[in-house]
Amino acid sequence: MWLPPFILAVAVLGYPLLLAPARSVLVIGLAALALCALGLVVRSSALVTACGVLTLGQYALSLWLAAGPPRLAGAALFGIGLVLLVETADFSRRVRGATLGPGLVASQVRYWVGFAGLAGVAALVAAGLATAASAVLRLPWAPAFAAGGAAAALVAVTIALRRARG
Amino acid sequence: MTPRVTPLALSVVSLAACGLVLGIFTGRPELVVAVVPLVFCLVRRSSLGSGDWRITRALSADQAFEGERVVVTITVSAGGPVPVLELFEPLPPSLRLVAGSHRGFFTLVRDQSVSWTYEVECRRRGRASLGVVHARLWDRAGLQAVDSGAHSSGPLRVYPRRLPLRRLPRPRQTQTSVGNYVASSVGQGLEPGDIREFVPGDRIRHVNWRASLRFRKLFVTQYHQERNADVILMLDTLSEAGAAPETTLDASVRAAASLAWAYLARKDRVGLIEYGGPFRWVRPGSGRGQRERLFEALLRAEVVFSYVRGDVGLVPRRVLPPQALVIAISPLLDPHFEKAVADLAARGFDLVILSPSPIPLVRRMMPESPSVVLACRLWALERRARAASLQRLGLGVLDWDPRQPLELALAGFNRTRRRLAG
Repeated sequence: MWLPPFILAVAVLGYPLLLAPARSVLVIGLAALALCALGLVVRSSALVTACGVLTLGQYALSLWLAAGPPRLAGAALFGIGLVLLVETADFSRRVRGATLGPGLVASQVRYWVGFAGLAGVAALVAAGLATAASAVLRLPWAPAFAAGGAAAALVAVTIALRRARG
Repeated sequence: MTPRVTPLALSVVSLAACGLVLGIFTGRPELVVAVVPLVFCLVRRSSLGSGDWRITRALSADQAFEGERVVVTITVSAGGPVPVLELFEPLPPSLRLVAGSHRGFFTLVRDQSVSWTYEVECRRRGRASLGVVHARLWDRAGLQAVDSGAHSSGPLRVYPRRLPLRRLPRPRQTQTSVGNYVASSVGQGLEPGDIREFVPGDRIRHVNWRASLRFRKLFVTQYHQERNADVILMLDTLSEAGAAPETTLDASVRAAASLAWAYLARKDRVGLIEYGGPFRWVRPGSGRGQRERLFEALLRAEVVFSYVRGDVGLVPRRVLPPQALVIAISPLLDPHFEKAVADLAARGFDLVILSPSPIPLVRRMMPESPSVVLACRLWALERRARAASLQRLGLGVLDWDPRQPLELALAGFNRTRRRLAG
């Protein structure tokens, strides 16, 4: 079960290289891939998360180096790949060495495919709304991002905590 | 059943926060868009299912001997949809997994049943309890989980392994019931004994025609009676050495089980005295029921520290019959046991000590070094001196290396008895 997350890791880490084929991007990508492989071998979700953080750093660097027009569809695919990477790595960590019941993997794959579709639509809708809003409203970019990011993070943590309390 | 957030959810939150921070610093909208699936993953409510499921467990056998394998079958049935159910059955130390896995993941739809099997090897005697199955219900994304447990009774009795035995120590005296030993008294039997003159009442089939023709008088052949014997196994549970499942007590229990099985097969009456702190015993008896009783008692045999030291003089006569052969099984680690067997020998019991040596069992646990070799040699000398002092009291001591067949140690029984008699 280690192969699907590894393939996803290669795909997610390869996308920034397509944007900006630079040595620094390659080095960060290789480091992230090594962390991911180690995380899969030793079944550590912390290492896979660290790989995810490095992947985001690599993506940010490649965007900064490429300095072209925004590629929002690619960004949505990158985000979906990142979510699937951590989820499949966690699933493979959990089920390693265990007996798998009939239909478990198939139903899980169906769920991931459905999630990827919905998340892609959600990301594109959000990007479209943001583009439309930016045409109407003239806000300074950085404070708007900061406020939006902080609000989104706050909402995510709140939801997570609410679920924890049931 | 309170759902809890899993480490994966925290990972996703961390990645989302990291992506937002990088987006702010670089001023690129792609990073914010990339974070949207992460936030969507957190926000989207994924069901934990109905939680209506139950398990049943079946064992291929509810009793087994050490070294045998038992197949455990667990059937999971769901009353409602179950997204991902993780089941884990912790195994007691006396059982070892040999095939399959004792952890399983299942997804179930309404009214579906799934069976899951794995195989365990019984490593050590005792009552292995397969009781609680730990369950964890996951959502599909793995972001939240609910822990619970299901109790399903699965008692498994693991009896001590029987060691092959063909020859057994022969008791000096026999009892009154029919058995396999040729007694010195004459009567009904198969083994021809003396010849005497015919007297009215003798059966014609016992007439020895060859002697009658030679002496011109009727002679009859007398036959030795075939009798059984009482055998008492005295188990030392005062102390043990070595690591489970190969301690001196384990070896002693295996020897006791093997001897009990073999003597009972010869129609002898076999009893058991467990000499720990307080005594525990099984009265002598014969047959299949007695074998069950003895094996049940041997299942429970363990070293329990106690300040109480029993006196063998307090053991009732019906538990320790005067003409019984007493086989004391002890590693001779505790002097109290030696005193007890010396008391029995002084009271005229036919007694032999079978001593499983603790030296190879302890040596196996320790790294090989000159000091260990020297210590083991000194220990062996001390054991030899202790055996010699018991032999001076008229007790036969059979030293047994538990790595070797038990029969090898018992082969020296007749030699020891002859030497002591001489």
